[in-house]
Amino acid sequence: MSEPSKYDEAQLIAGCVRGDRNSQRILYERYASVMYPVCVRYLGREDAKDVLQDGFLTVFDKIDTYKGEGSFEGWMRKIFVNACLMQIRKGDALRYSEDIAESPELGGVLEHGVLEQLSTKEILDQIAQLPPGLRSTFNLFVLDGYSHAEVGALLGITEQSSRSQVSRARTLLQEKIKKLYNGKK
Amino acid sequence: MERNEFDKILRDRLEGVTEAAPDVWEGISQGLARRHRRILLRRFATGAVAAAAGLAVALLVFRGPKDGKQPEAPVRIAQSVQPQEVTPAAPSGEIAPIAEQIASFTKNQVTAQAAVTKPAIPAGTVKEEVPAEVTPVVEEPVVEEPTVEEPVAVLPPEQPSDSRPMLTENDLPDGFWNESEENKSRDTHTSRITILSNLTTVASDNDLIYRASPSHASSQGGKGQASSAVEPVSLTNAPKFFSPLSFGLQFETALSGRLSVATGLTYTYLVSQYDMLVNKEHFAGAYNQLHYVGVPLALSYHLVQTPSFGFYASAGGAVEKCVSQRYVYGSNTLHEKVGGVQWSAKVGLGAEYWFIPRLGLYFDPSLVYYFDNSQPFSIRTQQPLQARFEVGLRFKL
Repeated sequence: MSEPSKYDEAQLIAGCVRGDRNSQRILYERYASVMYPVCVRYLGREDAKDVLQDGFLTVFDKIDTYKGEGSFEGWMRKIFVNACLMQIRKGDALRYSEDIAESPELGGVLEHGVLEQLSTKEILDQIAQLPPGLRSTFNLFVLDGYSHAEVGALLGITEQSSRSQVSRARTLLQEKIKKLYNGKK
Repeated sequence: MERNEFDKILRDRLEGVTEAAPDVWEGISQGLARRHRRILLRRFATGAVAAAAGLAVALLVFRGPKDGKQPEAPVRIAQSVQPQEVTPAAPSGEIAPIAEQIASFTKNQVTAQAAVTKPAIPAGTVKEEVPAEVTPVVEEPVVEEPTVEEPVAVLPPEQPSDSRPMLTENDLPDGFWNESEENKSRDTHTSRITILSNLTTVASDNDLIYRASPSHASSQGGKGQASSAVEPVSLTNAPKFFSPLSFGLQFETALSGRLSVATGLTYTYLVSQYDMLVNKEHFAGAYNQLHYVGVPLALSYHLVQTPSFGFYASAGGAVEKCVSQRYVYGSNTLHEKVGGVQWSAKVGLGAEYWFIPRLGLYFDPSLVYYFDNSQPFSIRTQQPLQARFEVGLRFKL
């Protein structure tokens, strides 16, 4: 059985570039648990498994293009995010109206300390339950650090629409979390 | 809780989070094996194209002017007839009918050569080894008997057509000798006027992997060239690819009895419809039109060749240059130059049917692989392996 900790990242990458199956296996074992939550928050648990597989295939296919600029995990994360967005597009889920009116910010809808009371798994599941279009913009902007301009370009929507959808998603998520929290009390 | 605070707490909670993932290694392993096979196929195709090109060049360079020329039909016809004309043992009275038979060898009668000559020879006057059909064996009596021309000399002078020493190719109808006709077709340069179109190669949208993100394209190796002003960015509408339309002119020449090489000039028109950013402004359902001019090179091996039908296998490749690219968005158009060339390799089978000796129809189904040469986003970049169904007319020169 392979032992991921015995190999440093550069060795693994070099092995994967050569097409060494053992290196690929170790890389998969090392990062599967990191990339899976990314897939879950974009797609939910049902579809995350498929994209996890496709994402690793893309990683192995393109690993020779990784030049060591920035972290390898960040590079992989971009590939998985893109794979998730393509999966969402297949379902036409991004055909969400890009002209959603800016919803009023429900400041203070969530009390302090509530998020800390929930497990990461519960938070991930709440994000995954957002409508696909809102979920994508929210994940891209809030959790993966893309600018509204980049989100707009990625999703084929205007920058203003990205802002509106993130705002709407934030409100919806807070309401869901509050509901979950109240149910647990 | 303010939104910035909410976002920050959420980011902190989810940053670096791990969760036991379902085991998908088996599927990944199978996918890697498939990919490995594709790479091998691509290398094989590349090698085949290179080998075909090398072989074609070598054969063209080293083939002498007489090489590959088959013995001409008239010679063989004459040889096959001569032993029957000059059988020394035959009395002169018996030779005359034979000579008459020869003299009456007209275009129409020649097609039944064996039937005409054999019954006319009296029993016992023809050597046993004289064949009824055309075979090289009949050359032997010609060598042994230097007086072969004598019977011809006794032909009646009032029949000028009979004074010809032997038949020439012009006296024969086309297609009389199958082998001869085949060799003739192989020895003759053949030009093709080709009209070809991809009829079934455009996959459904969902089968296509669409690499749309400008910020991710580079990190993923980005298939499809992103121009400075225009970028395909649609995640809301699936790209639509129209069947490519191609036509061209090809010339084919024989390298040997069954092998031929063809090259020429082709034109291909590709149209795609997808969402794009033009100078950072989003346009849905815009069109991209590409015009390619290419030079194909292919080797064909003729498996079956009759005067009216042919069946062959072919392999080769092509290099194409995009000579024009146009985007149509809204009421605007934008022209952009495209650098580099598109390389492709193909293998296929073909069948041809000749209506008349010099005009035929052919059908050429093949598999074509378009290599990743940073060409503009199109069906070729999204679906490199395509089935192509080529039909056309073929003329013999």
